[in-house]
Amino acid sequence: MTWRVAAAGDRALLVTLGETIDSSLLGLVLALDRALSDPRPAGLLSSVPAYASLLCRFDPAITDAARVEDAIRRLEGHLDASMPTGPVTDVPTRYDGPDLEEVARKTNLTPADVIDAHASREYLVYCIGFAPGFTYCGTLPDELVIPRLASPRVRVPAGSVAIAGRQTGIYALASPGGWNLIGRTDLRLFEAGATPPVRFKPGDRIRFVPNR
Amino acid sequence: MIEVVDPGRYTSIQDRGRPGFERFGIPPGGAVDWFAASIANHLVGNEPDAALIEATMSGPTLRFQSETTIAVTGGHCPDAGCPSWRAHRVDAGFALDLGRVSPGLRSYIAVRGGIDVPVVLGSRSLCAIGAFGGGVGRPLQKGDRLAIGATVSSPAVSEPWPESHRLPIRGPWEVRVVPGPHPDAFDPPAFQRLSATACLVTPALDRMGIRLDTPGLRLAATEILTTPIIAGAIQVTPSGGLIALLADHPTTGGYPVIASVITADLPLLAQARPGDTVRFRDVGLAEAARLWRRLSGWLDLSA
Repeated sequence: MTWRVAAAGDRALLVTLGETIDSSLLGLVLALDRALSDPRPAGLLSSVPAYASLLCRFDPAITDAARVEDAIRRLEGHLDASMPTGPVTDVPTRYDGPDLEEVARKTNLTPADVIDAHASREYLVYCIGFAPGFTYCGTLPDELVIPRLASPRVRVPAGSVAIAGRQTGIYALASPGGWNLIGRTDLRLFEAGATPPVRFKPGDRIRFVPNR
Repeated sequence: MIEVVDPGRYTSIQDRGRPGFERFGIPPGGAVDWFAASIANHLVGNEPDAALIEATMSGPTLRFQSETTIAVTGGHCPDAGCPSWRAHRVDAGFALDLGRVSPGLRSYIAVRGGIDVPVVLGSRSLCAIGAFGGGVGRPLQKGDRLAIGATVSSPAVSEPWPESHRLPIRGPWEVRVVPGPHPDAFDPPAFQRLSATACLVTPALDRMGIRLDTPGLRLAATEILTTPIIAGAIQVTPSGGLIALLADHPTTGGYPVIASVITADLPLLAQARPGDTVRFRDVGLAEAARLWRRLSGWLDLSA
C-alpha cells in the first residue's frame, strides 16, 4: 500500500506502511527507521517503530509536519526492506503459567501439546512497547491462536511468557496485563542502567526453550 | 535537605521527562502540567531541566532543613498558607503543608537548585512502571530525604508570575486537538459527534491517562494493529469510552486514536478533575503551532 502519513498531535507524524503482522512490513519499517536516523532530517528528534508503523517526533521550533513528511516521502519506494539476520536467542522458559490449563482447554490440546507448539518455532521480535522492555513476538502457530483474557490482571509478574491472538510476548516487568500466561523466564529483559536498557529489539529472532 | 513528613496522595520527583526512549517501551514521563512546572522553576531561578516535586489532589508536608527559596504553581492550594505563583524565602525548619489541591489537580513545588536525584536514562523523573528514576524509583514516602542541587541559572524572581500569563485550572474544559492519526478507524462524522459531546472525567485517572465517559454518544471503532502512541492521544476503547493519555502513557496501543491534544493544551488535561466536563475542538496544525509559540513566548520572557 501507499504509505499513510498522519499528524499525531502537533509534534509527531505516524507513518503507516501496512495493517498486518508481516515480517516484510517490519523489514520496511526498520529500513525507514534506519534511513531517518542517518542522515537525520533537521528537527527530527526520534522515531518509534512498531509492527507496520513508525512514529516520528519532531521539534516544532526547527521544522514542521510538512517538511518532515517530505523527508519521509522521499524514501518511499527506495528502501531495502530485507531483514538483517542475526543469531537466534534462546529464552529458557518454565511452562507453568497460571493460564496453561485453560489455554489447553480452549485449544483442544493437552498442556504438553501447547508447550510443544509454542516452543516449536523461531519468533521474530515485532515491537518493544506498552511498558519498558515488553517484547512482542510473532507469529504463533494457528492452533495456539486464542483471544486475550476477558478481564485483564491487575498484576502480571516480571518474566511472564504469554500469548494473545497471533502474538506471543514477554512481560519484562511486573505490570497489568490481559494476555494468557503460559510460562515464565528468568531472562532479564529490562535494566534501566544498561545500554541499551532492553535485551531485544525489533527484528531480533528468539526461541523459547522449555526447562525440563 | 528536605524531609518528607507526609507524602500526600501521590507525590513524585519530575522534570521535563525522558522523550526519546519510547522505542524501549519507556514512557516519556515528566511533569504532566509542563507549563506550571516550567514557571515554578523559572520563579526560583532554576535551569529549565531542574527536577521538582509534583503533587496530586492532596499535597505533601515537607520540612526544609536549611534556608532556601521555593515556589508553588499549578492547581490551587487554598490551605497551603503561602501564596502560589511567586518565589518565597523559607527559613531552616520551615514545614510546608500543601494541603488539598482544588481547583485543579496537580501542583508543583520548585526548590532553588532543584531536587538532586540521579539522572537515569536522561532524566530525574520517576518512571513508576519501570520502578526507576525520581531518586527512589517510586512515589515519595514518609521519611524520604531529598537533597537540593545546584541547577540554578539566575536569581529568584521577585515579582509574582502575572495572572494574565497563566492557564485555566478549572473546568468545564475546552481542549484543542488535531484529529487522527487513525481517522480510517472511524466513520467520518465520528469526530464531529465527539466534539459536540461534553465528555465526563471519571475517577479512573493517573499519570498514564484519564478515562472519560461520553454521555449520549457511543463511538464505534474498528480494531487496529498496535502502533506507537503519544501523550495527548485520545483512544476509543471497545466499550466506546475514551482514554486520554498523559506523560506516563504506554508507548504503544491497539485502540484507535480519534484525535490528539495539542501540546499547548496538555496542561489543561493535567488539571482536569473527576466530574469535570471536557469538550474537544479541532484547531488544525497551523493554529496548534501558533498556540505553542504563544506559550513558549511566555516562557522566553522568563528566560
